[in-house]
Amino acid sequence: MTITDQDFQLFIYALKNSSKYDFSQYSEKSLRRRLAKVLADNKLTPPLLISRMKNDNKFVEKIVNEITVNTTELFRDPQVWQAIRYAILPKLKNNSVINIWHAGCSTGQEVYSMLILLSELGLLEKTKVYATDLNAEVLNNARQGQYKYRFNIGYLDNFDKVIKENPYNFEEYNDVPYENYFYIDKTSDLIKMSSNLKDKPIFKKHDLVTEDNTLYVKFDIILCRNVIIYFNYDLQNRVFDLFHKNLYDNGCLVLGLHETILGSYSVKFQKKGHAYYKN
Amino acid sequence: MDYKAVIIGGSAGSFQVVTRILNSMPKNFPIPVLLCLHRLKHVRSGFVEALSLKSSIPVEEPYDKDQLKPSHAYLAPANYHMYIELANRIALSTEDPVNHSRPSIDLSFITAANAYRQKLIGIILSGANKDGAYGLKKVHDNGGTTIVQDPNECEVRTMTQSALQLTKVDHVYSTDQIIKYLLKL
Repeated sequence: MTITDQDFQLFIYALKNSSKYDFSQYSEKSLRRRLAKVLADNKLTPPLLISRMKNDNKFVEKIVNEITVNTTELFRDPQVWQAIRYAILPKLKNNSVINIWHAGCSTGQEVYSMLILLSELGLLEKTKVYATDLNAEVLNNARQGQYKYRFNIGYLDNFDKVIKENPYNFEEYNDVPYENYFYIDKTSDLIKMSSNLKDKPIFKKHDLVTEDNTLYVKFDIILCRNVIIYFNYDLQNRVFDLFHKNLYDNGCLVLGLHETILGSYSVKFQKKGHAYYKN
Repeated sequence: MDYKAVIIGGSAGSFQVVTRILNSMPKNFPIPVLLCLHRLKHVRSGFVEALSLKSSIPVEEPYDKDQLKPSHAYLAPANYHMYIELANRIALSTEDPVNHSRPSIDLSFITAANAYRQKLIGIILSGANKDGAYGLKKVHDNGGTTIVQDPNECEVRTMTQSALQLTKVDHVYSTDQIIKYLLKL
């Protein structure tokens, strides 16, 4: 379905008026595409969608959930997780407490990746892990910690690269059993995270676009991977401001592999390897 | 015609062609070159380096919201869709693959066609699936110039033939003719 410029603007306006969500500064091309998909999936025309949004809050939540992109993996981009393991976390090992925020955590695979890594390094006890997303439905999935197995078989390769192998020493191999952290249930085709991992994070609904830090702590590490690509240039700067204010000195921000800090905040962070350290 | 960008899509059999095109470009090629090429899933790195080796203009895998510059080539990064936003910026996306492809040539072409309209040149090269055919049609529908590599010259002709079936293109060119055409810009 083609969406006219006017339909698109009306949708954003309706959303802003009937809810607390503001998509006006999202990246236009992908938002348009998502909107077209939502219309097709729900067999709606733009005017029908907009009129239903006006007096049905549940429907608005459903549409927002469908419109946001929720692709994530366990140890996505292993080289980034190797950097977290060997370059970022070791610097924090003498802290009495470590605070980590997964901003835009989606279905939680990277939250569990972090928990596994923390456990391997003996840092799980003293770390507080916060995970937020705009989408309440994906947060529930994250809490459940269950993922399709066959579809996600690449998770195990990623796990091996980050947990079992050492990129700096090819002779080293730590045969850490998957069962330490998750159970593969082949009958139900599920990877199930162990309950000691699931109980650890604090999951909370949070909108990076309209809300301030509602976790009321500062952070040593903020991970926000493949989230800001859906925001336009101006909105990205607002989010960098939020992150900058809520990082401890020497805290760092980890972005997606092809995300970077452009504009005025580029001088307020220093890039080292895969992380942006607060100046 | 005052063009603002060239966009090139290809898959199996396109690597050599793209290498030759980039090699023959003048260092001051007046507009940005957008490349959306499928690659093997396990070859995630090294591709941009391989293309850079013989290219006369810099080839980069862009970051999200990077501003496009003339005389630069931008290769859609592995595992991301690459969109062209208004204001000459790249936008990346991790939305699901389209026709089993991420990057999707169709999506890059559609967004570029929308951003540049008649000031875009779209080129489809050798490839083993039909990704790109719909995108090239959108380039055409928006008044842009469309070129398809001569299927007789293609290592795999599915992509070019699908494009030709869907759109009455402006030119069916050999690699040499594509190069000659671009040199005149």
